[in-house]
Amino acid sequence: MLQESHTAVIARGQHWRGEVATEPYEAAWAKEAIFFLRALKVEGSLQGTRANIQISADGIHWADEGSSLAVPTTAGEVTFCRISHFGGFLRLVVALPEGARIQVVASLNLKA
Amino acid sequence: MDTLQKAIFRADPDLSRFDPLPRIFFFDRFNRGYNGWTTLVGNYEDNIDTMHPGYQQITAPMLSNLSHWDCGTHGAMSGTYALKLATQARAAAQSVAIKRITFQRACPIKLEFYFTFKPEASTLKLSKLDLRSVGLLFDLQDDTSRVMPHLRYLNAHSDRSAQRWQYKDKPVDFERFSDETVTHYHLADQDWVDLPGDAQELCYNEIPTKVNWHYAAVGFDLRTMRYTHFQCNDRIYDMSGVGSLTLDAMPNLRGMLNVVFFAEANADKRAFFYLDSVVLSGDWD
Repeated sequence: MLQESHTAVIARGQHWRGEVATEPYEAAWAKEAIFFLRALKVEGSLQGTRANIQISADGIHWADEGSSLAVPTTAGEVTFCRISHFGGFLRLVVALPEGARIQVVASLNLKA
Repeated sequence: MDTLQKAIFRADPDLSRFDPLPRIFFFDRFNRGYNGWTTLVGNYEDNIDTMHPGYQQITAPMLSNLSHWDCGTHGAMSGTYALKLATQARAAAQSVAIKRITFQRACPIKLEFYFTFKPEASTLKLSKLDLRSVGLLFDLQDDTSRVMPHLRYLNAHSDRSAQRWQYKDKPVDFERFSDETVTHYHLADQDWVDLPGDAQELCYNEIPTKVNWHYAAVGFDLRTMRYTHFQCNDRIYDMSGVGSLTLDAMPNLRGMLNVVFFAEANADKRAFFYLDSVVLSGDWD
């Protein structure tokens, strides 16, 4: 049987400002994941801003996984981060600078 | 179903807990993957912001092993993984998953599934009223009509327990983007009507991290576009007077047979709807 693969869109056109966390996504079946972040619109400067990957055993209590990806700084830009050995629940957290906004599509590409 | 086929179905340990019609459209065990169940997205045109807010909120279904902070992995009914629909942590938030096929022939169909539901175990309380509803619908179209039979188990609403199955048959107005594209949010928390009969208590168990699996079966006839059967665990409902949301046939949808599951929160806490396995069967030769 082919191994499972799945792309979950975890933020679909969301407008982010300030502190943001994506909804918890369960992926205990997967061995590897890529977070993709694509900007639809950007307002203000996001230079140097990074989104951190967090993991959780229960989807409620979270810890930094240690990996991060750059937040796109211009519309159309795509960034990504590969991770593995992440346990069960995944999410992205980001703190955007004062006055900055971004509309995003965030996806989680998973493979067993 | 003839005796031989019934015996074969009953001899299959996976299938024997179902009571399908002779032809099986799909038999999805989520321990084996997503099986084509995906996020319901609303219609839009030119700009994703044109999507109705009811659809914008919908999150992606996931394969869950039901892991909790206190007991660890609960697991599914027939394996480790179940399909999980999770709402956002906001009262009245909804989430929806869909599988899209078409039918070969107008015939009787039957949807059977094993399911359970819980609010997120983010507080050390029973949380029995924190999940509003879980439900399902078909989205069907023949030559003349688009028909959308909706059913939900209203667990609680506001500060009261309900524990009743309900249906919806009142159409919703369309919003038009252009000559080609429209949208209508038919899942709103309005126009639901109690099914005939008493309330039905489902085993909720004693804390939010203990779950019990339930069985439900919905029969529908694509020839008459009427319900033929609805059952949840040991309770069989009289569906003879129960209607469906019905619209004029729309472009590009002829032969559509979509199956949809949805969940709704009743508190500022995520609501989870888990499906262990789903069978859609039909009766045609």
